[in-house]
This record gives sequence, structure tokens and C-alpha cells, in this order.
Amino acid sequence: MNKLERFFFTKYLEDPKRSLLKFSFMFMVLGIVLSVAILSAGLNLFQGYESSLKDVLLGSFPHITIQDANNEYLGTEQADTIIKQLKKLPQVDKVTPVINYAVMVSSDSRVRGASLNAYDFSGAYPFPYSKYVKEGSNSPKVGEVIVGKYLAKELDKQVGDEIKVIYPQLDRISAMGLYPSERRYKIAGIYSSGFYESDRSLVICNLSDAETLLNINPSFAKLEITLKHKAIGSADAIAGIIQKQLGMDYAIYPWTLFSAGLLRLVAMEKWMIFIIFCFLVLIAGINVISAVTTIITDKRNEIAVLKTLGASTASIKKLFAYQVGLAGVGAIIIGQMLGALLSYFVEKQGFYRLKGDVYFIDSLTAAISPLNQIIVFIVAACLVAGCIYYPLRQIDRLQIIELLRNS
Amino acid sequence: MLCLAGYNLSKSYIDSDQSIHVLADATLEVREAEMISITGQSGCGKSTLLHILGLLDMPDSGKVVIGGKEINSQMPEAPAVRNKEIGFVFQFHYLVEDLSARENVALPMIIAGQSSGASLKRASELLSSLGLADRLSRYPNQLSGGEQQRVSLARALINNPKIVLADEPTGNLDPQHSSEVWQMILMLNREFGQAFVIVTHDRESARLASTTYTLTNGKLSLC
Repeated sequence: MNKLERFFFTKYLEDPKRSLLKFSFMFMVLGIVLSVAILSAGLNLFQGYESSLKDVLLGSFPHITIQDANNEYLGTEQADTIIKQLKKLPQVDKVTPVINYAVMVSSDSRVRGASLNAYDFSGAYPFPYSKYVKEGSNSPKVGEVIVGKYLAKELDKQVGDEIKVIYPQLDRISAMGLYPSERRYKIAGIYSSGFYESDRSLVICNLSDAETLLNINPSFAKLEITLKHKAIGSADAIAGIIQKQLGMDYAIYPWTLFSAGLLRLVAMEKWMIFIIFCFLVLIAGINVISAVTTIITDKRNEIAVLKTLGASTASIKKLFAYQVGLAGVGAIIIGQMLGALLSYFVEKQGFYRLKGDVYFIDSLTAAISPLNQIIVFIVAACLVAGCIYYPLRQIDRLQIIELLRNS
Repeated sequence: MLCLAGYNLSKSYIDSDQSIHVLADATLEVREAEMISITGQSGCGKSTLLHILGLLDMPDSGKVVIGGKEINSQMPEAPAVRNKEIGFVFQFHYLVEDLSARENVALPMIIAGQSSGASLKRASELLSSLGLADRLSRYPNQLSGGEQQRVSLARALINNPKIVLADEPTGNLDPQHSSEVWQMILMLNREFGQAFVIVTHDRESARLASTTYTLTNGKLSLC
């Protein structure tokens, strides 16, 4: 930046009202503000969706699951031995044995399919999902259950009401047909993780209730491992270590096996949306080209006099580039702020909810990531800079003498 | 001592397949502290001559010598010579709208590589000496026509050029402002020895110069 360029640049910053707030810039600035706001809001919402989905997936499902390779139940002693081994691993936070089975839940004339998960609530083992019990007790007693929010809603039941859990026992057919096992439970709490499928189908009960209902001896279907926060990303490697320790009699499933593909898809969708919205900024760039062309036409006399006074063409181009560029940068920053505001309102609005059965989660959340905002700024600035540079080439072709003769 | 000279300058334009010779072997020598006026009918080539002498246009033939060195508008050093050796005043002030009077005047000095602080200080002094001390921070659209042209004159003088080339400097002004600008030019020539070449169609004002030429059929002749 030579002294002339620095002089003008300082002037633009010191007196933006006169230098930058021009009528010819109005549509350019408006176009950039709106397109950047949409780009920024779209990215904030997608980032929010990705983060929420990841939080829900990693918060309401085990990070690693261990079960018998032949799908046999694990005996209590066998499970305790494995748990002791697993607790020696520094990455492991909690190990919880669980029984789970597909059941039916009924209330009056309504019947719904459900997933029964039975945990120990005596304190011997941790229950990792207590934070998702939003109403009632997170420690059901014998004869009590915690029910998913949407399941309770579909059955029209609340905390304190009773539901009937039916286990079809397809392997027990009597002369009278299927002989289901069924029991009535009192709803002790409502489970709401935000993950639609869990909230629509989960029933959580005590181990002893599940043993009675399923008619099994004390045992576990699987062990659920919750990893420490920093180790969640290394679930694959940790699963490999556990597999080596326990041998091939056990099947080890890290969370990535079920959910990583979905998260990758969501991340890819986010960047696809980003690219599509970048085209909006490019369209706004047409206004920039138009604004720069107008300014060059309006300021032909000034270009002529600057050239006459000895300023180089490159310097004159930079003076215009700084002027339009500063207005553009201001518009991008305003656009980003408007985008943040827009995503905040979309998050807080109550008239549109996500369809949980389609999008897995049912609420829109916005996450303003500094990295994303830097990317939005850089991409928008590069697009605007390209749109400024292109029409500035006209100045190369302007001859002083032609400008003076025509003015 | 010669500060600027143009020798055997010729220039023609093609208009509707016809060649129009606006300059034909025109020669002009300007010495230090000299004040030359050039008159002639509209379209006779006065401005073209001034543009060639000011390294803004190329002659078809002939040469321009500034400070003893032959130079033309296509040479890489031409912008620097225009900036330091020549001052320009045009019929229209051509002031930069977004800059104040003081900032407009400082421009040539800043282009020459001087600091903006020193340039603005010198611009203030110059404008004050031209009676515009109370107009330093005014923008061009806040100045009268005469004031605009005086700012333009100050801009032409800020780098202490060897010569100021003025193309119809009062052509756009009313008689009162026109007189003010002429008095200013005469004062600068008389008190500071500033050389001027002034192109004007106003024969009465032209007589105020020490030497007056008329441009007829592309040739300069002394009046």
C-alpha cells in the first residue's frame, strides 16, 4: 500500500458516511447483507442440527456395546468379571449391564410396539441416562417404569398412570395359541432425550421386573460402555483393545458402526447447503459488478485527474477496490450478524417443528461456530473481491486524453 | 532558462475519413517566470497543444523537452514528470468529490511519496495564501466556482512545478470569479516567478500575459 492508497484507505475509514454510504452502493450492500445472512443462518442451523444430533446420539446410546458372540445372555458373575476388566481401561467412564427386548405396551384400547430396557437401580451399577428423565423419578422402583415422552403421549398417559407391558413369548405356544406374558406397571418418569425414535419407543424398568416378565434367570443381554468425553472419538480403537482383551467369544460394537455414517451424511449436507447458498452471494456479486461499473462511469473525471497528477493505474484501481471492498466487508459483517439473529429467531419460534420421524430430532437449534463464521466471511469476501476486480479492469483501458476530451 | 519547449509539433485527427491537421509544426518555448497565453478559435487545437506539452497526449511528430530532456507521454517516467515538473489547471476543476479542499490540494504531494501529514500542512499554507484559509475542510460541492478553481490552482502549485499549464481556467466562471482567478495567476507569476502557459479564448484576459500567441491553422504566431 503506497502513501496515496493509505491516504484514501484512512479517509474511507475516518469518514465512512461520506465515502461508503452512497446511493450507488445501496443495492450492492443490500444484496450482500441478505445473501450472507441466508448463508450464515443456513450454516448456523445445519451446524446446530449436526451438533444436536451428535449430542443426542452420543448421550442416549452406549458408546460401545458388548454382548455374547452367540447372542446368549451373560451371567451376573461373567458380567462382573468383564466389568472389572473394562474399568481398568482409562478411557472407560461407566459400564452398565442391561437387558433389552422388543415388547408391546398397551393402555385401554391403544397398543404400541416398544423397546424394553432393564437396568439395575439398586446402586450396584450406574444408570447413564438419568439426565434424560425430565419428569418424575429417574430411579423406578419394582413395579414402576420410565416411558418415552412420545410413547406416553400416544398412550395418553402421565406420571402416576398405569400401562400394561406385554411380552409375546413367541416360543411358547399352547393349545390356546400364543401365551403372552404381561404385567402392569406404574409410570414413574418420562424419558425425553430429543432423539425421536427413543422417545417414541423406550420403556425402562428394573432388572427384576424384566426377569419376571421375560421369565429368565438373573442375567444380562449386553454391557453398555460409556466412554470419557475425550475418548468418544476413539471408540473404534478402544473397541479393538477390548476385543483383544475379551477374545472372540464376545461381539464388540462401537457407536461409529451405527451412527458415524449418519453424522457424516449430515456434515456433508451442511457443506452442500453452504455451497448452494454461496451461489446467492455470487448472485449478489452481480450488484457489486454493477456498483463498481457505475462508480467508474461516475468518476471518470476523477480517474483522469488522478492519472494526470501522476497516480499509477494500479493505485487508482486499488482506491476503488478499497472503497467498494470496505463497503462489502461491512455488508458481510452485517449479514453475518443478521444471520445470527435470523437463526436465533428460527430456533426460538414455535410454529414450525422438525418431523422427528424424518429428521431424528424434533427441535431446530442454531450453533454459531466461530470457524464457520470465519469460513463464511472468507468465502463471501473472496466472491465479493472477485466481483470488484473484474469491472476494475476497465480502468486499464481508460486513456487520460480520452477522458479529458469527453468530459 | 528554458523550462519547457515543444518543437515542430504536429497532430492530426481522422474525422469522417478526413484528416484534420490541428497542429502543424507548432513550436513553443517557455522560460522560467514567463507567462504565455495562447488564444485561438474553438477547436483550433489549443487544448491539444497543451495536452502534448503536458505529456498527456502524443504528437504525430515533433518533440517535447522538459528540463533539457526530451520526453513524451508514452515513456515510463512521464507520470513522475507530470507530477513534479508540471502543474495542471483545467476548465472544470476536476476536484475529487470525497476529499476536502485541503485533501484535494495535498494529492499531488502524496502521489509524489510525501507523508500525508506534511502534504496536508503544505496544502493548508497554500490555500491560506490563496485566500481560502476558512475553506480548508469544505468539500468541492460546498465551494463556489471561483473557490473550486482556486483550489485547483493550489493543487497545481503544491509540488512547486517548473510550469503550470492552464486550459481555459476561467472558461466556466462568471466575470467576477474569472477576474479573481486571473488576479491570482498574475500574483503568482509576479511574486513567485511561477511560469504559466494559459490557453484561453478570451483575448482581453490573454493580453494580461507577458507573451501572447495565436494558434491559426495549426501554427503559433506572436500577437
